[in-house]
Amino acid sequence: MKAITFIAITLLAGAIAGTILGAINQVVVEPYIDHAIELEMLQQNTTAQSGQVITNPAEFAAYRFWQKGGEIIAGTILGLSIGSLYGIVFAYTRGSISGTNNNKKKALIVAGIMWLVLFLMPALKYPPNPPAVGNPETIYYRQSLYVAFLAISGFSALGLAFLYRKMMVASSNNTKKKVIIIPSAVYAAIMAGAYLAMPANPDPINAPIDLVIGFRITSAITISMFWAVLGVIFGALWDKANFISNKIAARHNCNSS
Amino acid sequence: MLVNNEITKKTSAEGVPRIAVGILLGVLAFGVFIVGFDQGEMLGFTVPADGSEGNEPGTNWAHEFYHDMRHAAGFPCH
Repeated sequence: MKAITFIAITLLAGAIAGTILGAINQVVVEPYIDHAIELEMLQQNTTAQSGQVITNPAEFAAYRFWQKGGEIIAGTILGLSIGSLYGIVFAYTRGSISGTNNNKKKALIVAGIMWLVLFLMPALKYPPNPPAVGNPETIYYRQSLYVAFLAISGFSALGLAFLYRKMMVASSNNTKKKVIIIPSAVYAAIMAGAYLAMPANPDPINAPIDLVIGFRITSAITISMFWAVLGVIFGALWDKANFISNKIAARHNCNSS
Repeated sequence: MLVNNEITKKTSAEGVPRIAVGILLGVLAFGVFIVGFDQGEMLGFTVPADGSEGNEPGTNWAHEFYHDMRHAAGFPCH
């Protein structure tokens, strides 16, 4: 596949999946965010001392409109960037995925693994919080924890993927199916260790627990959906692009012979 | 032979074009940073110049723009 084709299908799949994520979040996750921000404003206004600005409702509405609109575009940008990583991982690993020759299935397998490594693992240790939870003072500390955990998960998976590939080459045909067990077990052990060793999120949850749990569940559903949509669209585009380039190559061969 | 060398230079063993990997990694780094982590460092020009830190609603427009997705995608936020 040509570089430009590969870039195009990767970005297209990412942008579509990300935009869908932003749009669906408007309906599914936004009610929780709205509620959380109302509570946050209420807290701020009750603790406001004289002289502090209390949020003006009209300004507030305009600002929420901006945030919600931004979510769709931010979805597109996030989709483009996560899609880029996904495209690279797929291109490098598709030759090592055994059990199927179907690119659409392989695309979903890669999406599933990346969902586990890059979303589920960090979300189990540092679950997403709605607005109203989270102290601005600790943002850099919390970001460091989150990135560290993400990096442990991502780089362990990357290293183990190389190990898996080496083991696959070295193994005999009878044992190929069992090769996945060792890298998976090592990954599970590393993540369990990291889960126990890493410090917890320092911020107290001072919003109603129903709100926080509802937010976590709905956002987990939409992000999971994002990965599935990304895999489906990318797999379909990859096959389509291969089909077209094979056709062009075939025609070229006919003409030149 | 020359053609073969040319091909190995431009693509990895898996046939992935290196230039594409470079470009896509750039998109990844830029996008994840601004949506997930930026606190006004990269898009600092969007924070008002009047000395406030952009913590009041509507004053740090780039942050506000990404705000809801940052929460919904599970990144840490304020």
